[in-house]
Amino acid sequence: MPRLELRGAPGPIPACAGIGFRAVHQHALATERPAVGWIEAHTENYFHESGPAGRALERARANYPLSLHGVGLGLGSADGVDREHLAKVKGAIARFEPALVSEHACWGHAGGEFFNDLLPLPYTDEAVELLARQVGEAQDFLGARLLIENVSAYVTFEHSCLQEWEFLTAVAAISGCGLLLDVNNVYVSSQNLGLDARGFIDGLPPDRVAEIHLAGHARNGAVLIDDHGSQVCDAVWELYRYAVNRFGALPTLIEWDTNIPALATLVAESRRADLILGEARGLAA
Amino acid sequence: MVSLREMQSAFAAALRDPSAACPVLPAGNLSIYRNNSAISFRSALESSFPVVRRRVGDDYFRQLSAQYRARFPSRSGDLHWIGRDFPAFLLEHLHGSEYAWLADLARLEWSREKASIARVEPAVAADVLGRFAPTQLEHLVFTLQPSLSLVASDFPIFTIWAANQVENAPPVDQSLSGECGMVRARIDLLEVRPLEPRLFSYLSALAAGAPLPDAIVSAGLDQAGLVSALGFVFTEGLVCAVRETGT
Repeated sequence: MPRLELRGAPGPIPACAGIGFRAVHQHALATERPAVGWIEAHTENYFHESGPAGRALERARANYPLSLHGVGLGLGSADGVDREHLAKVKGAIARFEPALVSEHACWGHAGGEFFNDLLPLPYTDEAVELLARQVGEAQDFLGARLLIENVSAYVTFEHSCLQEWEFLTAVAAISGCGLLLDVNNVYVSSQNLGLDARGFIDGLPPDRVAEIHLAGHARNGAVLIDDHGSQVCDAVWELYRYAVNRFGALPTLIEWDTNIPALATLVAESRRADLILGEARGLAA
Repeated sequence: MVSLREMQSAFAAALRDPSAACPVLPAGNLSIYRNNSAISFRSALESSFPVVRRRVGDDYFRQLSAQYRARFPSRSGDLHWIGRDFPAFLLEHLHGSEYAWLADLARLEWSREKASIARVEPAVAADVLGRFAPTQLEHLVFTLQPSLSLVASDFPIFTIWAANQVENAPPVDQSLSGECGMVRARIDLLEVRPLEPRLFSYLSALAAGAPLPDAIVSAGLDQAGLVSALGFVFTEGLVCAVRETGT
């Protein structure tokens, strides 16, 4: 495995491939120092001021630029955003000083119950207004610009009147947030709901897209499940190449959260993304 | 026009009850969200109670998780605290059954979970006692490490816990006598350790804020026992501060 050569104070997230930071890899990451461009950690795993998890991320942070990726805010929840949760995100930002902070275009709680899942929003004007307002308020509170990610969907709302890309574009325009394009999610949603994946990518504003996610999915009968539990499939790599041709080279994360493989496998997957990013740079030169 | 709040409320109802109406297509795919949500909850519970899961097996743990969730649904986007009420739930749920010991095992595992995010304070050495006059000694109160939990059970839960650090361990003889012990955090290490009952009583009294002599009396320690117990709390780095009562 190639080793990281450039060390020192981590700066902004470079336009190359990164990997998800997982506890099972922390020792290998520290000792082998693989040459990956950056790491991304789930914000909610680092809410506590004490304990070994935070110390491990601090050590990794010393060697790699860091992105913090939240999964629990449910910014599109009509019941509002949990201020206590938001304060903990702010605490994590202050402690780990990430170069990017991201969340999802979803909701997660209603009537006091949290479902701890990335639940889909109806693509309506009301949902645009609410999500944009709550993203804007979160950004003001956190003192950081957020990247908002498209989620995998298994259903559509009868009341939706916008395309998903129109919805995200409007939220970004109103709130000033950036967009995190999850290419696997685009593919999963398009296959499940009969949507046009390339049309989705064509519709997003290039000046707003600042990061890309890649992951594997599982098939359950006719439905694709976004489980982050396997290699990126060929169709998603193709769609990624299409996205990179449109948006240029962007920081690209390999997500692998279940059935987590050896670090070397994850690094090899990131090499594949780096090759495609290199091709895009060659074309642009 | 149906409002966003109404749509999310209907969606939430359909996640709880498959027969509830929800304006989505295909409605059958709501089962995927229902399943995702249950898995998130159960995975978080399992990460806090791995030994309980090993002892009861995946199928029964799934049932327990669903029943617990029905009583104690998630109230946060942060799943870390999801298991806070699980020991009490098991105590009630398994009361009088042959599995009642699982509630105590869960209590031990939750102590470990709490210790994993507790501060580790600098410990004070035994020579701190030399700063006090002999007349002050009987008024001394110790502040112990914030991560310290003291756990006692009528069942051999420390033996069960230790034996089940691997999958498919053979069952522990439940007729063994009850055990007591401590859970505490060191830097990058969690310690789960059975204690001799008198030492446990002594530590419990100290943790409750009892002055030194009261702790000695309540634990029934003789002179040698006291020296040994005092040596233990200092060499193990359990004491963060020593002060006189009332100061």
